[in-house]
Amino acid sequence: MITLNKRERLEWQEGLTVQALLERKTFTYPHIVISINGIVIDHDAYAETLIPDEADVRVIHLIAGG
Amino acid sequence: MKVLAYVAQKCTGARTCEVTCAQTWFKVQDVSKSSIRISANDGIFAAEFCIQCGKCIEVCPTEALYYNKQGIVLLKKDLCVGCMSCVGFCPYGVMYFAPEEALAFKCVACGQCVKACPSEALKIVELDEASTSVWDFRF
Amino acid sequence: MTEKIIRHVLAEFAYQAPKIERGYANQTLYVNVATGEIKAKPVSEEMKFKFTGGKGFDLWLLWNAVNDNTKWNSPENEIVISSGPCGGTTQYPGSGKSLVTTISPTTEVITDSNAGGHFGPLLKFSGWDAIEVQGIAERDVVVIVDAIAGKVTVEELPDAPTDTHLLGAWLYDVLAEKPHEKYYIAMVSAGTGADHSLLGCLNFSLYDRKRQDVRYKQAARGGPGTVLRHKRIKALVVRAKPFRGDANHPADPERIARVGADMQHEVATWDPVQNRMRNRGTPYLVGIMSDYDLLPVNNFKFGSHPKAHDINGAYWETRLTQGLPDGCWYGCTIACAHAVDGFELQTGPYKGQRVIVDGPEYETIGAVGSTCGIFDADAILELNFYCDTYGIDTISYGNTIGFLMECYEAGILDLEKTGGLELTFGNAAASLEILHQVAQGEGLGRLAGLGIRKAKAYLIEHFEADPQFVQDIGMENKGMEYSMYMGKESLAQQGGYALTNKGPQHDEAWLIFMDQVNNQLPTFEDKAEALHYFPMWRTWFGLCGFCKLPWNDVVDPKNSKSAEPAKIPHHVQNYVDIFAAVTGREIDINDIIAMSERVYNLQRVFNIRLGKGLREHDYPPYRGVGPVTEEEYESRQERYDKQLREWLGLDPDAMTLQEKMAAHRKYRTERYEHLMDAVYERRGWTRNGVPTVEKLKALGIGFPEVLAVVEKHLQVEG
Repeated sequence: MITLNKRERLEWQEGLTVQALLERKTFTYPHIVISINGIVIDHDAYAETLIPDEADVRVIHLIAGG
Repeated sequence: MKVLAYVAQKCTGARTCEVTCAQTWFKVQDVSKSSIRISANDGIFAAEFCIQCGKCIEVCPTEALYYNKQGIVLLKKDLCVGCMSCVGFCPYGVMYFAPEEALAFKCVACGQCVKACPSEALKIVELDEASTSVWDFRF
Repeated sequence: MTEKIIRHVLAEFAYQAPKIERGYANQTLYVNVATGEIKAKPVSEEMKFKFTGGKGFDLWLLWNAVNDNTKWNSPENEIVISSGPCGGTTQYPGSGKSLVTTISPTTEVITDSNAGGHFGPLLKFSGWDAIEVQGIAERDVVVIVDAIAGKVTVEELPDAPTDTHLLGAWLYDVLAEKPHEKYYIAMVSAGTGADHSLLGCLNFSLYDRKRQDVRYKQAARGGPGTVLRHKRIKALVVRAKPFRGDANHPADPERIARVGADMQHEVATWDPVQNRMRNRGTPYLVGIMSDYDLLPVNNFKFGSHPKAHDINGAYWETRLTQGLPDGCWYGCTIACAHAVDGFELQTGPYKGQRVIVDGPEYETIGAVGSTCGIFDADAILELNFYCDTYGIDTISYGNTIGFLMECYEAGILDLEKTGGLELTFGNAAASLEILHQVAQGEGLGRLAGLGIRKAKAYLIEHFEADPQFVQDIGMENKGMEYSMYMGKESLAQQGGYALTNKGPQHDEAWLIFMDQVNNQLPTFEDKAEALHYFPMWRTWFGLCGFCKLPWNDVVDPKNSKSAEPAKIPHHVQNYVDIFAAVTGREIDINDIIAMSERVYNLQRVFNIRLGKGLREHDYPPYRGVGPVTEEEYESRQERYDKQLREWLGLDPDAMTLQEKMAAHRKYRTERYEHLMDAVYERRGWTRNGVPTVEKLKALGIGFPEVLAVVEKHLQVEG
């Protein structure tokens, strides 16, 4: 299991990438900052970055206005 | 279509062009009013000035910018409202702004700096003869 | 023009435009269209310090013009329009907004709405920080502020059309003696829809030099167009002199240029890889909102729809005219004021005409589109165009139609009651037919033109509608229809909509992502702090003449490393710099919040003075809080069941659907009550939502007539 944004518990499986998590959550907003266990992940590295089990994942959408 | 061209190898960094430009167009010695800017990096000089690409014409909301018959981008001062769209969107960072009169300004290839350059590093040439490699594309 | 235009001048006032100093003309214009009285009112230093400009000036002028019993259609009600000290700045994107304030026909309290277009800045450059128009004319009139001739007139123009796209074309031709004079003309108008409905919007024009045509932006919320037409005003017009980029005579032009150059370059660099506002405008949001279950579908029952991607940002990029500098004021390179050119109308009185459709905006797509179950781009464009030219708010209209569609599907309306219209979700032809009926004041258009709150009362009285049901599903608060975001899963946004002054328009706070997605506001106190800071921050734009979009719709990625990314500190600093550089008044973020609090609290007290503005007026309909119907619950059953387990420790498998829905309702409504307490406390208000005497005094607005309004309520509360 991983924790998303300090609230949601999500199933973890071997090989789970940041990109796959974004697709599973349909997080399509372009302007986001992602960290895993406190380390910010580079935008270009989403496809190859693996999320470890029990990770604290933050996906912060930088949008404060409609 | 004739534009300004610059030969870096010949430039000695005298900056006569900057002073001449500011003096010609703004009657001041302040080189922040120059449409040509010389920079030095480890003894290698570079120049920045307009290559008349016309991107600024697209972004101007007031139709103040236009090509004249010679292919030079000019500004109609009475239409310019000083909005700086052209300044921000110039791909080469060579559209400038004079805050005290709220007007944009740029190189119009007038050739005054060519005459003043002590090392013949500047010349007026046909567009296809001008190398654009010295310009730093900003985007 | 070949034929002679008839112009009967009913009143005339000669004036000489003062020099604008540091963003202010230092006088406001008063026009009474009933008596013909026209006069200048001085602007004091105290007025500038306490109310800044824009909505602040609007409210202060209106406060002094009306009495406790004034209604929207009373002669003393006014339309007040002001831009603000920074309005008309050309070097920074989004600095040309106009704020309009009036007593609303739908909410019956103060409404404020903002628009782009050139009216506010050109009005100021013509010598007036604000215009207030009072009285009800006997016949249709046009008010013309003519800086070239040095006069203000009230005129009858018997040949002037009413619908905006015709009126604009006609008036610009009449008033421009030479073609280039059109550049400096701006008008405010409504249309025949505002004659016959309470949902009237105001169109603010601009002359588009590239298209060589008149364009319009809308100040639509709360029915200001209805007030304009009730006063028998066809248009407010300003005919300005040519101006330069220093027309505000700012205190420090170099500081403005420095910040402006940085921001223009930031837009040029980052917009193409972020929201693509320059290509898509606000419709970039449609697909994204559907992906996050936030796009209202079928009267806010659902938050997404597979067809939303037929009308998403990528689609609009192919449909909106590309490559033009579509800013609604000079220098706005965010350029969200896009248009579809050469659109051929398929219905209505202008069928066959090829027109410019200004927009569509995200809100319009949501309102006349998805919340009515309509995903047909051509229908959305046609509805958008006719709403604008008829002078009708697209948000209120679409939301009302979505409500009536659900009433039809629930059996409250039937074919007989709709005059034969099959008003099911997705029926675009029916929505268009009703829109034309609104403009003619006929048929179902008369019901739709009331807006949701008054339509609910009608359905209860005449069609035996279940009061609880229509109250639950009618997406209005205070009488204003919701704008287009689903708040069911964001308690903070429920407050952002309903704990507002004018009603549920998201211009006070938009916290869905911070709250629901990012989980950055976990406690009631966090939410209350956000519902204090953001409404104050966002109010400030409307005091100065700024647009909110350049604050947060393009952002240098370095912002993500700042202490509070949601506030976008480097853009806040830009605004601090621009304000100080224009006015010469150095400020910081705390001053900004204080400037807004003064105006915000005055508006709250104004609402109380008009008989509302209390806790009882701050409740959302349950459709905005949780699932009203079994259909809604079942559509998101996994989510709702999980919440029962996690939030309430209940076992949904052991509960009936009704029990589950009741448990949700109890929990969600109680949670909202807690939020209200926390927010009122943070804002310095009592539990009944009344600003305290101490608060008003501390803000510097403890005027006797202001305190008198709250003291009555404070005594009752004890």
